[in-house]
Formats: sequence, structure tokens, C-alpha cells
Amino acid sequence: MVRFKSRYLLCEVCVSNPSDLRLLDERAVFFAVKAAVSRAHGDYGTALIGMCFSVKYLNAHTGVVFLRCRKSHYRMLWSALPFISSLESRGQRVPCFFNCLHVGGTIRTCQKFLIRYNTQQLHRLLPRCRSDSELVGYVGFHRAKLHCCRFVVQ
Amino acid sequence: MAAFADLCISGTNDKKRLQSIIETAAHLGYSTVAINHLVEVQPKKQEIGKPKCVSELFDHFPIVQGRSRPIRVLNRLTLVVSDTSHFRQTADFKFYDIIAIYPKTEKVFHAACMSCDVDIICIAATEKQPFHFKRPPVFGAIERGVFFEISYAAAIKDSTMRRYTISNAISLMETCKGKNVIVSSGAEKPLELRGPYDIANLGLLFGLSEGDAKAAVSANCRAALLHGETRKTALGIIRTVKKSQPADEREDKEAPPSKKAKLDAM
Repeated sequence: MVRFKSRYLLCEVCVSNPSDLRLLDERAVFFAVKAAVSRAHGDYGTALIGMCFSVKYLNAHTGVVFLRCRKSHYRMLWSALPFISSLESRGQRVPCFFNCLHVGGTIRTCQKFLIRYNTQQLHRLLPRCRSDSELVGYVGFHRAKLHCCRFVVQ
Repeated sequence: MAAFADLCISGTNDKKRLQSIIETAAHLGYSTVAINHLVEVQPKKQEIGKPKCVSELFDHFPIVQGRSRPIRVLNRLTLVVSDTSHFRQTADFKFYDIIAIYPKTEKVFHAACMSCDVDIICIAATEKQPFHFKRPPVFGAIERGVFFEISYAAAIKDSTMRRYTISNAISLMETCKGKNVIVSSGAEKPLELRGPYDIANLGLLFGLSEGDAKAAVSANCRAALLHGETRKTALGIIRTVKKSQPADEREDKEAPPSKKAKLDAM
């Protein structure tokens, strides 16, 4: 059976100021990516993106984004992502950059990767916390991340 | 998993900014970073100066994402040279781990490729290349183990710079066929860094093949670092290391096992 194959790009939006993450929303990411593709690949790029590109999921607490596009030109979209230097949201410009963590064929594989990645992050951050309250804070934060991942599949 | 390296981070006197850049690099997955010190070579003799000691930056270096080791920070010197006679090897070179040259004219480029003792030759990213790349010096550099570097920070900032970077990069690829190329950031702020897989993808825009693009961020960078290390060794085989152990302890040797017996006898 012939079906339309797509690629899900799992990206992390990195900002210098953690409180700016709360300003993110899906529309801002969508327009930023569209603008970057049109600047990098011109009308051809914009046309391909117009076919089947969407922001499937955005977590404002952690900055994780799922972008979906066709399998035939996900590389073109991926190559335009490094050129994004800021997001426009609610009238404010947030300087940021996109770090692509994983490319998967389905949301489920991306979710599996995200769970592994979050447990790695937890291992990295745990030695640095200095008190019990910080530890509880970190664990709660990452549990929230994992909870959000499971939400996506449903 | 390959070890990624970013061999050009602009060195500033602002310690906090440098710390945040290195932390971002560790978060993105770079195992090695090199702090760049840019020097314009003057006709008269000049002091290049020692780089700041790397261990002053951090008490504990941040751990690289996905690995258990801390990030490795090195010092690098870039000389902007417009005349062949200006390039002189001074004693200050030994404080830097990597030496790079940014040639401004064709003669300097030819000299850098064929004879100068450098590890990296920088390709212009902010202006149109004033000379064309010819095959003989490029292939001579490839045989010697010198690498060509493309820096992408300018491309991220401005649209005109992006055009220059891409056109210079593609004209280099046409001549060198994608060999001995490294891509590095030249970042001045932590937001100008990009992840290694993103940069490997950017390499496709620059005309590299998929394998070459990934090598440009990992294997070629490691080779450039080793090339820089050999400057501190004798013929690239023996390296002496000061040890705080008793005098009868032998020097640290990198000689192959077959030669070890002879050296021990000596």
C-alpha cells in the first residue's frame, strides 16, 4: 500500500534567558521556520513547505518542538533551521536557536528518543544540585517532561 | 558515536561570555573546543603574547552531552597575513595548540599551502574571495595534512555574508573535491553556536557529500588537532611529558612497539 511518508524533526529551542521560553507558541515557530526556508531556498522552498509542514507539538517549559514534513524534502527544511536566529512572539523578539536532536519516521520513535534523552539530562544535572529541595525540583521538572512526551502520542 | 569538535570560538576578555559559550557547546555535544586569538601580522617584529591559561576559566569543566567526559578547551592562534615575508615562526607559537592562517593574497595562499608550518587555512566568509583556488597548492596542502576551514557565524548573521560564505565554500569544494575540510563556528555569542548534526547538514549546502560533511565536524577536526600536536613532538613520534615521578621513570613515548625495544636499549 503506497502511503505518504513523513519525517518528524525533534528540535530543542535554546534560549539564553530561560524565562523567555514561556513566550513560545506554535504560530511563532511555524512562521519563523517558514521565513527561514524562504530566505534560504527561495520560492521553491516555500512551495515545498506549503505542501505539508506543521508544528505538531511544542512544550513551552522545556523548549521541545516536533516539526513534521514530507520525507522527500526534510533535508531541505533541516538545512534551513540553523539560520533561525530569533522568534517573533506576542510582539516580542526572542533570540534563540534550534538544535535538532533526532529525526524519526513516526512520533512514537521520537518520543522514545526523548525519554532516553531526558534521562541522560537528569543524570547530567543531578551531580550539580546542591540541596534536597533542588533535587526534588529537578526530578519533578523531568517527570513533567516525560509526562508531556506521553501526552503527544495520545 | 563520533567526537565532535568546534575549532573556532572567538576569544574575548569577557570571562562570563566565554564560559557561557563553552557551556552551550558542551550542551550541544561538542567534545573539544578551541578559543581563537586573532592577530594581524605587522611588518615589524611584534609580540604575539601568550594565551590565557585554560584552567582559569572553569573549576570543573562542563560535561559533554551524551558522554561522561568534561569538554576539552584548547588555544588557537589565527594570523591574518597579507605578505609572505610577514609570516615568521616565533617562540610564542608553542603556547598555542593550533596555528591557523588567513591568507589575503594568492601568493600567501600558495606559500601557506606548500611551505608554512600551519594546521588550518581559513577561507574568507565575510568578503568575496580575492583570488581563485588553483589545483596545485590545494592538492599540496591536502598531501601535507593541512585543513581548509569554513566559518558559519557570518552566514547566520547576515544575508549578504551568507552568499559570500556559500560561494567561497562551493568554489573551494570544486577544487579540493571535499577533502580536508572542516567547518567551525567563529561564534562570538552563545546563540551563534549550532549543533554538530545541523552543521553536518549545512555542509550539504556547501557542496560536501554526506560522509564528507559529517567528517568535516568530527574526523577532520581530530586530524587537525593531531597535526597541531605533532608540532610539539620530535618528528611526530616522540613526545616528552613532565612527570612528577622519580627520575628513573621513562619519558612518555608514542613509538610503535617494534621500535620500543631499540629505544629501551638506548
